Amino acid sequence: MERQSFNWARFWRRVDKYGTTTLRWVLALGGIVVAAGPYIYMILQSLAPWREVNRRIFPTELTTRSYQWLLQGSATAVARPWLRGFGNSLLVTVLSTLSMLLVAMLAGYALSRLRFRGKEAIYKFILFQMFYPAIILLVPQFLIVRRLGLYNTYAGMIIPRAVNIWAIFMYVSFFRSINQAMLEAARIDGASEMQILFRVVLPLSGSITAVIGLFLFMERWVELLWDLIVIQEYDMMTLNVMIATMSGPYASYPGPLYAASVILTVPIILVFLIFSRHFTQGFKFILK
Amino acid sequence: MRRLTRGEGVTGWLFTIPYLAFTIVFFVIPFIWGLMLIFSEWNLISPVREFVGLGNLIEALQSRRVHAAVITPFKFMAVFLPAVLIMSLGIAVLINSFKKGQGLLAVAFFLPYLASGVTMSLVIKGVVSYTSPVNKFISKFIGYVPDWLGTPALAILVIGLMIAWRFSGYYALIFLSGLQSIPNELYEAAQIDGAGRIKSFFSITLPQLYPALYSVMILAVGLMFGVFTEPYMLTGGGPNLATHTWYLEIYYQAFHTLRAGYASSIALLNAIAVFIVVGIVRRIMQSWGRAHGWED
Repeated sequence: MERQSFNWARFWRRVDKYGTTTLRWVLALGGIVVAAGPYIYMILQSLAPWREVNRRIFPTELTTRSYQWLLQGSATAVARPWLRGFGNSLLVTVLSTLSMLLVAMLAGYALSRLRFRGKEAIYKFILFQMFYPAIILLVPQFLIVRRLGLYNTYAGMIIPRAVNIWAIFMYVSFFRSINQAMLEAARIDGASEMQILFRVVLPLSGSITAVIGLFLFMERWVELLWDLIVIQEYDMMTLNVMIATMSGPYASYPGPLYAASVILTVPIILVFLIFSRHFTQGFKFILK
Repeated sequence: MRRLTRGEGVTGWLFTIPYLAFTIVFFVIPFIWGLMLIFSEWNLISPVREFVGLGNLIEALQSRRVHAAVITPFKFMAVFLPAVLIMSLGIAVLINSFKKGQGLLAVAFFLPYLASGVTMSLVIKGVVSYTSPVNKFISKFIGYVPDWLGTPALAILVIGLMIAWRFSGYYALIFLSGLQSIPNELYEAAQIDGAGRIKSFFSITLPQLYPALYSVMILAVGLMFGVFTEPYMLTGGGPNLATHTWYLEIYYQAFHTLRAGYASSIALLNAIAVFIVVGIVRRIMQSWGRAHGWED
């Protein structure tokens, strides 16, 4: 009776299988650490004692001094309305995003589902706008805002960002993919176009609206250039702009700047995580 | 039927009115005004607007600051393109290799895209500051603390990697949907031919990803002409204009020296530069795609 020889081929297959499984997990965890690292660093530094900020990655103790300082200021540095800045960010971003979504839904529905004269021309113009370099419009848009008396006002931040061409384009392509028969049925039942849009079409557009809204919200939340040139007063600045303009004067207070950064970052991550279950599905449509 | 159509026409226009009104005020008028500004010298305040013809454009073409802004995108590209392509392709292949939890991983790797350039610049400023743990570690090996933001090549490296970090998860999702449309038979056939994993990555995966690569390349190259926040926060365009960008120059000329016309001319040059470079990249990508059996 001969002893069965060791099955080397099977052995290597197993090493390969478990080896790559382990490697995959190691790479995935390492990747997530890199992706989340700067956020974690920011949080740790915002809670570190001031003598340790930017000197140690993991502080020896945790303190909320940086956050308290943001609210109260100190004898040596003027307190800035940081909390108000957070409120300003929220106000500007929420109003802008809602308006961008609403305008895009209406225009997207009209351009994809209604027949009217000039429709094709409008759609072509939208494509032209999407590819026209926005930077050439920056200075004249600023001049118009000033001419309209909107310089240094909330409206100056919200109205020029109240319509988003990309969102219209996305809704046009999405509404085109909706089954026409359902809309016809609603029309025969005597529903108005407004009712069809809000009762029939929108309930079908949950994922796509979540993802478009997410992108609009994210981009508006971290906008720098426009808010920087339109607003002068600290009372109206968004938190993002306030951090940017104070990073020089507050260079010797890195702890509070980290705290302000955390306050700026938490909402956007929360919004993203809340809508993340729509994310993969909706994102696939956006890529098409 | 006729009544329905007429009603539709009215509703169609009603639904597009908000968009149209906005477009007239914030696109059509600025469009015309912008073209007029290019040929005039105006300080945003004075009632006098001088017509200078091509003067602004000629001045811009001769300016050292504009020359720096022309070159900087290519310097960023040298760091950003390889870094972001390797990272995003790696993430996409990695996510695709998991059977479960792909959505969760996609969400995790997308986190960097949510970052504000302002706050990330603060973090990086801290990480490369003189007393930082990173510098302490590095100085043990090289004996001194590198001046990350004060050395031209290092400043380019830092900013290029920051932007690559931010966009890697986003581009990975584009690659991921490309990967998932590659038919499995191609890999099986290659396996029968005895091709290893690495070989089949280069001979099958990359060419099959052509549509995704094409979009990512154009997005990534275009992005480098619009960099503003990171150098604004970290270097102010320095040292010695090494990280000076188009947007910094436009911002500086329009809102610091208050030369609206000159700034608009630079914006026009920026658009032309993007048009040319993206056009070249498009050509290169298309010929690469054709070589691998894709049609335009």
